Amino acid sequence: MGPLLRGALAHTARLIGTAFAVALAVTLVSGTFVLTDTIDGAFHRAAAPSEGSSDLVVRSTSLFAAQANSLPEREAVPESLLARVTAVPGVHAAWGAIRGYAGLVDRDGSAIAPGGLPSVGSGWAPGDVLESGRAPESPGEVAIDAVTARRNGLVLGDRIRVLFEGTSKEFTIGGFLKAAGDVVAATKAVFDPTTAQQVLGEEGKVDAIPVTASPGVSPEALRMRVNAVLPERYEAVTSAQVAHESEESWTKAVGFLPTALLLFAAVALLVGAFLIFNTFSILVAQRTRELGLLRALGASRAQLTASVLVEALAVGVVGSVVGVLLGFVAAHGLLALLEAIGFELPAASVVFLPRTALAGALCGVLVTIAAAVPAARGATRVSPVRAIGGLADDLGASRRRRLVGGSLAVVLGAGSLGSGLSGGAVSPVVAMAFGVTGIMIGLAVLAPLVARWAARMVGAPLIRVFGEPAFLGRENAMRSPRRTAATAAALMVGIGLVGVVAIVAASMKSSAGRTVQSTLRADFVLASIGITGSSGGVPPAVADRLRSSPAIATVSEIRSGQWGLDGRPQSLLAVDPATVTAMHDVDPQSATAVRNLDDRGVLVRDTTAERYGWTVGDDVSMTFARTGTTRMRLRGTFSTSAVRTDYVISLNAYRANFAQQMDLEVDVALAPGVTPAEGRAEIQKAVVDFPVVQILDRSQVLAAQNAQVDRLLVPVTALLGLSVAIALLGIANTLGLSIHERTRELGLLRAIGMARCQLRSMIRSEAVITACMGSIMGVVVAVFFGWALVTSMRDLGVSELVFPVAQLVGLVALATVAGLLAGVLPARRAASLGILDAIGHDT
Amino acid sequence: MALLMRTGDLTLDAPAVTPTSRTHAARTVEAVKVYSSGPASVRALDGVSVGFDRGCFTAIMGPSGSGKSTLLHCLAGLDTLTSGRTYVGDVDLGALGDKALTRLRRDRLGFIFQAFNLLPTLTAAENITLPLALAGRRPDPDWYDTVIDVVGLRTRLGHRSAELSGGQQQRVAAARALVSRPEIIFADEPTGSLDSKAGAELLSFMRRAVDVFGQTIVMVTHDPIAASYADRIVFLADGRVVGEMHDPTVARAVDHMKHLGD
Repeated sequence: MGPLLRGALAHTARLIGTAFAVALAVTLVSGTFVLTDTIDGAFHRAAAPSEGSSDLVVRSTSLFAAQANSLPEREAVPESLLARVTAVPGVHAAWGAIRGYAGLVDRDGSAIAPGGLPSVGSGWAPGDVLESGRAPESPGEVAIDAVTARRNGLVLGDRIRVLFEGTSKEFTIGGFLKAAGDVVAATKAVFDPTTAQQVLGEEGKVDAIPVTASPGVSPEALRMRVNAVLPERYEAVTSAQVAHESEESWTKAVGFLPTALLLFAAVALLVGAFLIFNTFSILVAQRTRELGLLRALGASRAQLTASVLVEALAVGVVGSVVGVLLGFVAAHGLLALLEAIGFELPAASVVFLPRTALAGALCGVLVTIAAAVPAARGATRVSPVRAIGGLADDLGASRRRRLVGGSLAVVLGAGSLGSGLSGGAVSPVVAMAFGVTGIMIGLAVLAPLVARWAARMVGAPLIRVFGEPAFLGRENAMRSPRRTAATAAALMVGIGLVGVVAIVAASMKSSAGRTVQSTLRADFVLASIGITGSSGGVPPAVADRLRSSPAIATVSEIRSGQWGLDGRPQSLLAVDPATVTAMHDVDPQSATAVRNLDDRGVLVRDTTAERYGWTVGDDVSMTFARTGTTRMRLRGTFSTSAVRTDYVISLNAYRANFAQQMDLEVDVALAPGVTPAEGRAEIQKAVVDFPVVQILDRSQVLAAQNAQVDRLLVPVTALLGLSVAIALLGIANTLGLSIHERTRELGLLRAIGMARCQLRSMIRSEAVITACMGSIMGVVVAVFFGWALVTSMRDLGVSELVFPVAQLVGLVALATVAGLLAGVLPARRAASLGILDAIGHDT
Repeated sequence: MALLMRTGDLTLDAPAVTPTSRTHAARTVEAVKVYSSGPASVRALDGVSVGFDRGCFTAIMGPSGSGKSTLLHCLAGLDTLTSGRTYVGDVDLGALGDKALTRLRRDRLGFIFQAFNLLPTLTAAENITLPLALAGRRPDPDWYDTVIDVVGLRTRLGHRSAELSGGQQQRVAAARALVSRPEIIFADEPTGSLDSKAGAELLSFMRRAVDVFGQTIVMVTHDPIAASYADRIVFLADGRVVGEMHDPTVARAVDHMKHLGD
């Protein structure tokens, strides 16, 4: 083993690029774990019951499960229950808790923390802890969380405007609260209980009744006792249970993030695996002679395989260790990235668990070894005599086997992708990932078959411009199609996925634009800044004020909410049947449905109605948190993509069944003769007290929608960019290894009169050809995946397939330039070789 | 030989155009090359002054380590002297930078190495025209045809080096050296890895290039048979010129080499 290992170690320098690629992939894996643990930790701490808070909570029962990103909507509890609860033996104290939307406005009149996490207001409760100042005692006083205060430079005694569902009011800041307490919130405002009831809730009602137990009474025992005195539809649960539910709901809300990030990490690992596989194939090919000699001298196959695998293990371990360490740094970057796309997380310190190091390192080492196995087996397959004589680079597996195997992988991948996209698979994400991976690997297997031809095509224009050196570079790229193809295939994966994202984004934008252009008839749309719901939406007062203005002809509100269908959460929109079609020009079928919508009716998307076998005139049992189960008559079906939910009810039905009354959007049509500028000024007057409300004209609606797409596009592209970077590293690495192998040729070329700059140009040409090939393959793949993905998103309102040609061409150009840069270092190294040393070099 | 050395001395600081530079395609003056590796240093060339006549086929012979390859490399601008000068025509190679040297090799010199003369990715024809292509020039078609026919490669032009025999590969290298009409062709053991028949073919071709086209060739060899094709042999030992032989025969060359070995 000794001499074998020395042979391996002699190539250490050549493995650095490979180790770096492993490190990058592992960085993303471990960074994802760190991020996930950090998020979990943050929510766990935020949701944990704080000291001195309640042991039990009395609340109304929830009638259906919560949707992923929120707690179930619950009806309020009558204050009269408080006396009944307090009377239960073992109850030490009980009070009414009130919670609602309370947005804070800074001195400039703009909303604080308008997106992301909710802005919460509540009544002063015994669990609240002050950092400084005093608890609110009068109707004009508020205590806000210290973090928000510090961020906005607020001091005790400052006046602050607070936004409620329908109104806004100024308060004096009397105290600063420690941490947000028992809720995950962006900002928190606390009022005295009476004021809280007025501004946040309803007179005589509270949202819940927290209870503390007398000393010696266990929460569980007390819970049974309290439950016994509660009327139907109310329940007592332990605070631990409430905390658990809250944490679970938030974990569910961000639960897709680790999965999504791990998918990106998997892509990086896949690209890294291509690179590792390629590097080891080349190293083994270069050492064929040496390995053949060792075989002839009596080294066993197992020994040779082991020597290659030990090398892989070393690369894997070094790369993984570096990657795990970098992952810690990367987690901070990922957190920033998430914040950039609107996922504001509770303040948190980064959590680094031993599991992260273990999982990251294991991934890196296993992928490295798995990628090296084919090379290790190849090392021993050749007969010793042939190996000593040196091997010409053939296509490895016979052309037919390559063709059959590659095609099979592509077909299986396409099948899996198809079942994932059509929703036929048990786990669509896994099916899609499997499909994409299968297609990518299949294409990588097939690529060498066309690599010669592709290099000839891609190289032709280069030769016209750069002459002989480019010609020689192209010949080099064509000489080992397997190597060139494998290097290009790594780039194909990254570029392909970036391209898919670009195509999907362009299609989404175009579809949304088409919908806005063809259906939106309102002159202005009013909506709340940021993610709807978190900042409460548009207060109903705005619509009322607008109605009284002579400059405005029609005002139409749209609200959104959740309800339960057999206990499962569903989304709905509520519209004003009389005015909505004036604002949104929908297809005749949908318009007819809206005309038939009454206050006891519901409209259902045609495909959904079909799935449940409902026809017009049937009754649908809809469960609302506030009012329980109601039978609503199906008044019609719609198909328009202007509506994002599957269910629509009337505004009146919404008012009757929902507690929170905020508008998702308010559509405004101006009176005849009123100019857009005048109209905007008039609307401005109505919303002056509500800085969270934006006034958007049609092009701004479009821009806002595009911005939403972009907000996701940028970080996703950035994450995929890492894979592209790894692939480019692969080009540099492969070139470096090839140059080493061709040292004598380079010496010869220099001897017979190739200038240094020509030599550099030759090597850069090879890099450019490889990069260009890889990125063109990537774009071809992107077009296919983009087509498949967009086609399957038709139901989500993505009705148009758009190929952003300029962007895709730009992507190829960018990758080609990057390829050029990847070739710079190998080119410089080749040009600095001494001619005589090179000619005498023994490969 | 004595005369040669004297003229070499005389032209040390002479103006660029001298009678010698008109008759010598290349020459060295007091060429010294010292390789120092660590504490030990080796004088590979120890004051060599020698000229190579135009239109003449000169062989450089000597035992291993005599400095014959070093002399060739320095003459061809592939290596630099520690002291002394080398000229190709009137050009002092020591005064040239890397770019000018590269251009000189490309435009005025031809090379035949012992092995690995061809780029495996190129066809024979592409290999032959490679120096011209690097210069951005096209070969003179008549001359190209002549060269191809002389080396007898007409039917192998489309083949890559892996498909050519060792002798054919060396002939392709010779054709490449010849096609750009260089002032001198430097050959470093060109028959070293060939069997005797292929070696004889290559050498007769080189002989013909001198006789028919007036080509100047300088060839390093340790093989007396190869050297016997030359007009003149320069003998080197321990980095010095130790003898010279005109119109050599194999027997005389062998004899002289034996003498050197003592």
